[in-house]
Amino acid sequence: MKNYPLWKSLIVFLVISSGIIFSIPSILYQEDTENWFLENKINLGLDLQGGSYLLLEVQSDVLFKEELENISDSIRLISRNFQINLTDINIQDDQISFRFMNSLKLEDIRKEFMRNYNNVNVVINNNILKVIINDNFKKSIRESALKQSLEIVRKRIDESGTKEPLIQRSGKNRILLQLPGVKDPERIKELLGKTAKLTFHMVDDEDQTSLQSNKAPFGKLIVTDFYDSSTKYLVEKKSRVGGENLIDAKGSFDPQQGHAVSFRFDTTGAQKFGKATSENVGKRFAVILDGVVITAPVINSAITGGSGIITGNFTSQEAADLAVLLRAGALPAPLEIIEERSVGASLGSDSIDAGKIASIIGMIFVCIFMILIYGIFGILASISLIINLFIIIALLGIIGATLTLPGIAGIVLTIGIAVDANVLIFERIKEEFSKKTKTLSAIKNGFDKAMSTILDANITTLIASLLLFVFGSGPIKGFSITLSLGIFASMFSAIMFTNFLVYLWYSFSKKKEINL
Amino acid sequence: MFGLNKIIPTNSNYDFMKLKNYFIYLSIFLIVISIFLLSFRGLNLGIDFKGGTLVEITTKTSDIGELRSILSPHFNDVSLQEFGNSQTIIIRLQNNSNEESIETINKVKDLISNKVEEFRRSEFVGPTISSELLWKGLQAISFALIAILFYIWLRFEWQFGFGAVVALTHDVLFTLGVLSLLKIDFSLASIAAILTICGYSINDSVVVYDRIRENLRKYKKLDMKELFNISINNTLSRTVMTSLTTLIALFSLYFLGGEVIRPFAFAMVIGVIVGTYSSIFIAVPTLLLFKFRPQDDE
Repeated sequence: MKNYPLWKSLIVFLVISSGIIFSIPSILYQEDTENWFLENKINLGLDLQGGSYLLLEVQSDVLFKEELENISDSIRLISRNFQINLTDINIQDDQISFRFMNSLKLEDIRKEFMRNYNNVNVVINNNILKVIINDNFKKSIRESALKQSLEIVRKRIDESGTKEPLIQRSGKNRILLQLPGVKDPERIKELLGKTAKLTFHMVDDEDQTSLQSNKAPFGKLIVTDFYDSSTKYLVEKKSRVGGENLIDAKGSFDPQQGHAVSFRFDTTGAQKFGKATSENVGKRFAVILDGVVITAPVINSAITGGSGIITGNFTSQEAADLAVLLRAGALPAPLEIIEERSVGASLGSDSIDAGKIASIIGMIFVCIFMILIYGIFGILASISLIINLFIIIALLGIIGATLTLPGIAGIVLTIGIAVDANVLIFERIKEEFSKKTKTLSAIKNGFDKAMSTILDANITTLIASLLLFVFGSGPIKGFSITLSLGIFASMFSAIMFTNFLVYLWYSFSKKKEINL
Repeated sequence: MFGLNKIIPTNSNYDFMKLKNYFIYLSIFLIVISIFLLSFRGLNLGIDFKGGTLVEITTKTSDIGELRSILSPHFNDVSLQEFGNSQTIIIRLQNNSNEESIETINKVKDLISNKVEEFRRSEFVGPTISSELLWKGLQAISFALIAILFYIWLRFEWQFGFGAVVALTHDVLFTLGVLSLLKIDFSLASIAAILTICGYSINDSVVVYDRIRENLRKYKKLDMKELFNISINNTLSRTVMTSLTTLIALFSLYFLGGEVIRPFAFAMVIGVIVGTYSSIFIAVPTLLLFKFRPQDDE
């Protein structure tokens, strides 16, 4: 082998042996090993192992609206103090406008208002005062809502007992969820579909006129019953205590009331709750969850222990789920599912089987074809192709890439394209040889001349493949990964390994002729 | 061996440049038809880009007709399709809002659960996501075109970049035209196919261009058409070989790779065939528009 430098042979040997060794874990594929070596195996994407993918969007618009409501309350209070009559309030996307009887004292109202708010713009135009939430304020609302939501979602998913969930932020206001092995994400969706905002409010049973006219006076709120939408309650707008003060909640069973959720407040919560109940014995308080009244019992005596139960017509599952939600805490804003993809395990394993068969058959036919066309050189190219496949599998395992169905397609495609570099080289050698060049220099010239073409051709494919990685989502990224790795591996196996094999063949056969 | 290597042309000497006008007219004709199809018939956008709900089930006791009669009364826009075999059925539904979809999947499952052996997959793509995915796909394709053009411009002269992109655009439009004509489901995987076709088509053109560049240095006086002919013939065996091995792999994927990947494999097959054709009959003749040597001005 004097024609092939030793250092090159060593590199070839090193790459190939590690390629074969590191593809072993992925080929054997064992579940959950603790072994360092076997850890280097290919992860299967959700489309191959089965599971659910959910993309959730935090509905921060709701928060802007809430903020505008607060501003509205604040302005109403201020204008009442200044004794200026408000005639109209109008809320639009991110602004709210107040129309007053006259334009007197509007400057004073603004000054008073700006003491508490600094992230808004206030514009006065005649007798109209307009408050606009500015972009920074919106951004900070959105940002903190997303962070809180992520944390709450993580808690809820953990509580649900899902194994190895992947929960991550995606963009400005989205959360991406991957749940391997979850075939039917209904329960998860159920758990994430509720904001679970729990608040306790005092009920006003005296003011029946407001309730009948369905118009809440200032500081009050009309809320409907969860089980019977015709039942309405007039409650204080400000809650006495809320779910943020809960430290524990669990499903329980009460012989009289059926399934219930028992809860415990922290010290602050217990104090607030104790105070509210001791001041209002004989009155009712409403337990409001996500804007509807679950139950509104009469306070028989002050509750100072800081614990209690919520009853309703719960099933045991509903009570348990509500307890999970209360434990995990409330979402700052509702989450909307904007994309969902669930694959059953059997479809996944069918896809793997089909992918394996397609790769193996594809490979066998390509090899047969190469051997028929190029004879002995075809055999060399086939060996190179098989090694190429090992290297791809090893690389996928080492970088911990996720193999998806399009990823398998990428591998099969690579099998077809990988021989291109070999073909380019062989055709050059053939051409050189037909010019009556000696075997050895024909081989050398063939490789050298084919080199720049191989590089140009592969780099362009690589560009397309990398852009696919940047812009593609999920499974498509998997395709671009296998295709890119395939291009690298095929360049190595053609330029280095086939080259090595050809020289090896030559040094054994010493043929004067190349039968290509 | 077995005389099979005769199918791969060696030392060929076809006069491609003589035939080029016929093929250019044929290509223009096909591209016009493709554009016509794309603008009036459009692509059969799947739920990735149109939004909606898809449920794949297998059934033993029922057939597509029965399921259709169960579901049709409950949904306005429901379509059922056999997927590979008569026992695997895909149900597609259109819904306008995100909230609707969750209920839609549940409702479908409730209605047919006693007929179904297994729910194999369910997908829902909301309207915001679908338009985003479409936009990102178009961005990826445009950036790929620009980046490739730029690379070829760096490595060759700009005229080659122009020729390669003309050939590439030809291949992409033709493939899209075929997808439109046959109403093949256009999904995220189709975008991947289109981009891979871009890569493949360029790959093919680059190999021929490489040879033209080499021959431009080698034969300083030779007539351009003659030089192009020699270059195409020089690389013809490689062009044919690589296309064949790629097609072998793709056919294997098409027939054995499973139902989900079939549209992808199909688009790739079309793309590889047209890419091979265009590297000879489009990419090279386009270069005749330009002058590469001073003496050609005479």
